[in-house]
Amino acid sequence: MRIEEKLYTLRYKKDEQPHLAIIDPNKCLKCAEVNGVPQPCITVCPANVYSWINQKIIVSYENCVECGACRVACPYANIMWKYPRYGLGIALRYG
Amino acid sequence: MKFDVVVVGAGPAGSSAALTAARGGAKVLLLERGPEPGSKNVSGAMIRLEDFSSIYDISSIPIERKVKNVDLILLSDSNRVRINVNVESNLATAGRLKLDKWMAQQAEKAGALLITKTTVLGIERESDGYKVITDRGEIGADRIVLAEGVNALVSIKANIRPDLTPEQTVQAVKEVYSLNKDEVNKRFGFKADDEGASWRILGTDPVPYAGFLYVYKDAIAIGVGVPMKILIKRKVTPYTVLDEVKERLGLNELIKGSSLREYSAKIIPEYGFPSWKGCSGKVYLAGDSLGLVDPLTFNGIGPAVASGTLAGKAALETYECSRYETELMKNREIKRVVNARPLVKELVEEENFKYYVKTINDLLHGWVYSDFSKVKLDTSKLLKHLILGMGVLKS
Ligand SMILES: Cc1cc2nc3c(=O)[nH]c(=O)nc-3n(C[C@H](O)[C@H](O)[C@H](O)COP(=O)(O)OP(=O)(O)OC[C@H]3O[C@@H](n4cnc5c(N)ncnc54)[C@H](O)[C@@H]3O)c2cc1C
Ligand code: SF4
Ligand code: SF4
Repeated sequence: MRIEEKLYTLRYKKDEQPHLAIIDPNKCLKCAEVNGVPQPCITVCPANVYSWINQKIIVSYENCVECGACRVACPYANIMWKYPRYGLGIALRYG
Repeated sequence: MKFDVVVVGAGPAGSSAALTAARGGAKVLLLERGPEPGSKNVSGAMIRLEDFSSIYDISSIPIERKVKNVDLILLSDSNRVRINVNVESNLATAGRLKLDKWMAQQAEKAGALLITKTTVLGIERESDGYKVITDRGEIGADRIVLAEGVNALVSIKANIRPDLTPEQTVQAVKEVYSLNKDEVNKRFGFKADDEGASWRILGTDPVPYAGFLYVYKDAIAIGVGVPMKILIKRKVTPYTVLDEVKERLGLNELIKGSSLREYSAKIIPEYGFPSWKGCSGKVYLAGDSLGLVDPLTFNGIGPAVASGTLAGKAALETYECSRYETELMKNREIKRVVNARPLVKELVEEENFKYYVKTINDLLHGWVYSDFSKVKLDTSKLLKHLILGMGVLKS
């Protein structure tokens, strides 16, 4: 089963304001040189939130399952990582 | 508006803290970012009812099934061993949404005020206590309990503890498949609707991982945790590992005809207190915020309830930090987590983990075939870990 189909099982309420962002894209270029591709944030993410397109990290924050892995994994502390506001984001049934 | 105690996070640690402080007569506010308690939380989960009975009336605790058998499954590249442990005592499977809601309700019944859909963004010291800043406004607090779980943004921002590193973190993913009750009973050979089972899986391929299977009333939960450092090094995604485990264990057959109801993920801390401080001023940390998970027994909820209860008491009686930390160290479960840290650090090393899974496998196969020629004993390794293990057993 593709990851997109798995994410389909989840209930999300989208926060219009992104809760994740790349702070400095230049650091990601350096990261790709040092660590190779896919970079740590892409590898550890269980929801394919990050993708490397045209030498840039694209963040699909609305898929985020709020696990916390990318923040810890990024060797350059280059991810602005917050929680979605007002309880938005995912809501689990089992957890 | 000012509260005696503001608790951040309505997980097992936070609700236990709020319950304890409210029972003692404090004016308590329990803040939760999710739409309801548990809606943002992930566990397997298997719980020990004794862990709750010290502060909760467990007659109404919402469990899925009583665990009658725990299977330990070791998978090395070629061999497989399965050890079945028959369980007499009070182990149960539970879904976090129901369990966390129930715990928060107990705190509310004791008088705590629960507010959901509210994220705490930071805390600030004031001349007469603290200011708690949320995405909906500010509240005054005399004392604070931070029970924010593994992503402890507030504790980190307030400089009470550092962030985790990949070496100290396990990434876990989980899937829940729904299947009707009778079919669950049939596939697992259960004789009653409340009978349950749990599997713990330690495997070495494609990367070292610890997996689990827990049976709910009408669903099966499967998951896997992998040291983050290994995922990064090998460039393997966590869901790939889970798919491989399902394949290797023939789980796809076991869940045939069911449908995926939920996919979730969360990191697990493998480091923390007492290397991190448990407290600063009148701010007390508890549960995963303090890194109190016991990876050897997969128990995080037990230490969260225990430390939350202590944090609630500390906040109620305005403990000095040293007193709170001493009380934490006196608790049996917390002490075990602390004493296990050096051993855990060794065992999560890829080489050691692989060695043990393979050696135990080879030993048991050797015993079956009466041929131990494949078993390679590394005496210095065994001795080192035996000594570390003794430290855990003594606690
Ligand atoms: C896949 C997996 C399987 C596991 N299996 C088991 C198991 O079988 N048995 C077991 O005992 N343990 C298990 N654990 C560990 C267990 O889940 C944790 O140790 C336990 O949940 C810790 O409880 P806690 O109260 O400290 O934190 P959490 O349960 O994470 O609760 C923290 C709460 O704080 C809220 N919060 C966070 N930040 C804020 C904020 N800024 N403002 C407001 N609210 C906030 C969160 O929404 C959450 O409700 C497992 C963990 C994982 C990931
Ligand atoms: S790990 Fe950090 S620095 Fe590297 S690509 Fe991802 S966000 Fe950029
Ligand atoms: S928090 Fe987890 S799900 Fe969200 S982007 Fe980071 S790694 Fe992906």
